[in-house]
Amino acid sequence: MAVVLNITPSRFRASGSKLDSQRRYIRKGSSGTEFKFVTSQNMDVSDGGLRYVDPDGNNVDDSVYNGNFSGSAGIGVKV
Amino acid sequence: MSKFVADNSRIQITETVSGVDQTVFDTNDDMPHIVGTSQINNQTISFAAMSQTEHQTVQKWVEIPGYGYQYIWHYRWAIDPAENSSIIDIANVPTDEDNNTIDVDFIVVQATGTRTVNGKDPRFNQALPSTIPSKTFSFQGSVLLEASGEVNGASWMRRIVSIYRSGAKIKMKVQESIARLDRDIEFYKFNAVNPSAESKFPHIADTASTYSLNITLFFGKFRQ
Repeated sequence: MAVVLNITPSRFRASGSKLDSQRRYIRKGSSGTEFKFVTSQNMDVSDGGLRYVDPDGNNVDDSVYNGNFSGSAGIGVKV
Repeated sequence: MSKFVADNSRIQITETVSGVDQTVFDTNDDMPHIVGTSQINNQTISFAAMSQTEHQTVQKWVEIPGYGYQYIWHYRWAIDPAENSSIIDIANVPTDEDNNTIDVDFIVVQATGTRTVNGKDPRFNQALPSTIPSKTFSFQGSVLLEASGEVNGASWMRRIVSIYRSGAKIKMKVQESIARLDRDIEFYKFNAVNPSAESKFPHIADTASTYSLNITLFFGKFRQ
């Protein structure tokens, strides 16, 4: 039978362990983030080349890209 | 050690790791969750065949050791540069119970697709490399579909697709960028029947590609 609520000094579980203190639930953060959710277009092409906008918002171009696409940084989350 | 606090509309769980309390769940934080999905089947992405133009024809006499003066035809054909882009609506952003568009924060795209028309590299009798896996894949933002490079490795062709929100619509933007690519061929007059035609890119008529994707969109928010 699923655990409805179980509280011990070292662990908290509820709702069939869907909520468990030994898991890491991702949360939005303004600092100390560990990865990012990309929120829009993050590639562009021009002159046969490619611009990739990394999750931090930095442009990563190959040697031939000659466009002016401007992407944006993703939303940072922490665990 | 774990700590659970439920107080004044807030639930917080902390876990002590190496003597440091770490928050593992907190309803005061913005936590990503999915508020809706949308399924789009048999979505087609098409790229037309490239074109080429004859740029230079030089006929000259050159001295070849052992053969004396020979008549040479020098032909240069080039892939026509092109920047192609199209945007279509593929879905609506989900609405709430009052029929207002939900202000979603992110979209996760899950897709399964096949390339139904295998475009060829105009230089070779082989398909353009495709980055689409044969199984289900996920992405946010954009994904590279096809690319090709020159002999020195520099890119001359890219095909990409982007899926993103614009207002109450989900847009699919298909882009193709083709740089000029030259092909220089020299013929001796005696060994070419139709040197202009023989110096063309041989597979340019087969450079069109088509994809068919089944797409699931997951609409996410950080806070209700």
